[in-house]
Amino acid sequence: MSIDIRLPTALRALADKQATVTVEAKTVGEALDALFARHERLKAQLLGPDGKLRSFVNVYVNEDDARDQQGLATPLKDGDAVLIVPAIAGGAAPAAAAGLTADERRRYNRHLILPEVGIAGQERLKASSVLCVGAGGLGSPLALYLAAAGVGRIGLVDFDAVDESNLQRQILHDTASVGTSKLGSAKKRLLGLNPHITVETHETRLSSANAVALFEKYDVIADGTDNFPTRYLVNDACVLTGKPNAYGSIFRFEGQLSVFAAQDGPCYRCLYPEPPPPGLVPSCAEGGVLGVLPGVIGTMQAVETLKLLLGIGRPLAGRLMLYDALEQSWRTLNIRRNPDCPVCGKNPTIKAPIDYEAFCGLKETPKEKSLIPEMTVEELKAKQDKKEEFVLIDVRERHEYDLARIPGSTLIPLGDLPQRHGEIDKTALVVVHCRSGARSARAVQFLRAQGFDAVNVAGGILAWSERIDPSVPQY
Amino acid sequence: MSLEVTRALESLVVEACEKAHPNEACGLLIGSPPGDFDAPGRALVVDEVRPLPNGWDSSAKTNRYLIDPLDLARVETELAASGRGVVGFFHSHPDAPAWPSPFDLMMAWPCVSYWILRVDGGKAADSRSWQRSEDGRSFVEEPIHLEG
Repeated sequence: MSIDIRLPTALRALADKQATVTVEAKTVGEALDALFARHERLKAQLLGPDGKLRSFVNVYVNEDDARDQQGLATPLKDGDAVLIVPAIAGGAAPAAAAGLTADERRRYNRHLILPEVGIAGQERLKASSVLCVGAGGLGSPLALYLAAAGVGRIGLVDFDAVDESNLQRQILHDTASVGTSKLGSAKKRLLGLNPHITVETHETRLSSANAVALFEKYDVIADGTDNFPTRYLVNDACVLTGKPNAYGSIFRFEGQLSVFAAQDGPCYRCLYPEPPPPGLVPSCAEGGVLGVLPGVIGTMQAVETLKLLLGIGRPLAGRLMLYDALEQSWRTLNIRRNPDCPVCGKNPTIKAPIDYEAFCGLKETPKEKSLIPEMTVEELKAKQDKKEEFVLIDVRERHEYDLARIPGSTLIPLGDLPQRHGEIDKTALVVVHCRSGARSARAVQFLRAQGFDAVNVAGGILAWSERIDPSVPQY
Repeated sequence: MSLEVTRALESLVVEACEKAHPNEACGLLIGSPPGDFDAPGRALVVDEVRPLPNGWDSSAKTNRYLIDPLDLARVETELAASGRGVVGFFHSHPDAPAWPSPFDLMMAWPCVSYWILRVDGGKAADSRSWQRSEDGRSFVEEPIHLEG
């Protein structure tokens, strides 16, 4: 018998865009077998792992539900239409209790035999969710261990692509993924490690506008960011949503670790009410970092996260751990909640996320900016070529200077400028540069306040390398 | 990847979701399926929305929805000749985030868009659209472009 199987719009794309597939069959079961033989992708969506039709797929013969007749054995006659209609359902409530499958019991065996975890704990992990802010150095070991441990739902926020210079420490990504989205690469790796979990990717810059709504959806937030504005944003959004923050940070050979915003514990602002002045603390991109350091700290964040989810042990709330890789030492400091903290104190003044770029002094008002005179790299080159009298000061760090420099420059790192500005000729024009122009803008502001005629090089040595001398390496 | 919809249609969806509070609302998004419907990242244009009654039994209408398969079948049959079809679904999450729940994931189909509105105390508070990956393991958010 020639039977028409009609597909809903949702499923047509998986059957070479056909609305109707005509097959030869005597029963509903035969018709479906013939359909699946032709369209593998459709089969994968409609059949469960047991090879049976998923319970929420409805099959109608003409207008009648096949289940009300003889199910798959329902006979068909020439010209009958078989209609496949997916049941559409969902809703905010979580799925029924997450039991463990036989596969999962085998996989998590070493957890199940720990009395502190056991089946109940493992089910708890399966039903829990963690948001990793950043899929970089810290996010790599963190997300890998959470995935391996069976945390049911892992969210990742990042917007970067994998860069070759990431691979020295960001073990979520591999050489083949250079140039592709970090989240795509991370998701593939995590699901490869553990197909029983769900990975949710949020390819966006975490912002004051989206943080609270995003955090509400997860049980624990793990901060693996590399900059102060995002760190304060993560902290404030954690306090506002009542989610604990498994915090880690790294710089060169040192790391910090704590759990902030846990019940009754202090938050990041209790410890650091104000961000450091902009430019004072170089980022990892400027100051460098030992590749394995995020491995140490990110792994410890995973430990704290799992403890929080399982409700076992003593969480690191109220303690700050400082790691020194060169000394191979850990120090623990006790930290207290600040009753006057603007976000978690008794009378909070921050009730919604604020403008963190401005809070960290990274947003100059147009007026401030206009006070910092600038020159382009082309103008600098012309001055050099004409052998004009001026002093060129490089305010980067020594190791950056060793990597790349503009000829004729004198190195005075930004942090040393307050003690060493006496070395600079006060009668001369002082041209100041750094890597990208941000630190040198601070230096120019400082020098002008001391009475120097100082000018900033817009775009720094990066612009020099791009537009004047490509032999100067970029870093 | 995006869901394109006019402001007039959006207000119909918002109205249905706000009216249904504290229950979940649900309905169909209708349009012409794009040639790359199954591709992650395709753009979808919605030209009609149809709110439908929530068919879940009264025990859990506040956090579950169900669209009667016969309703869906009827609409698909009606649209068959026009080349249009049901390209997505909307539903509300009363007093809960506009993120798909694990149950949403378990029940979802690929290709189509799932537009979820958060409704707080009868007021729409957030609105996000999602496409399920073909492997069924996750949802990917897509921007909603409002026109008109």
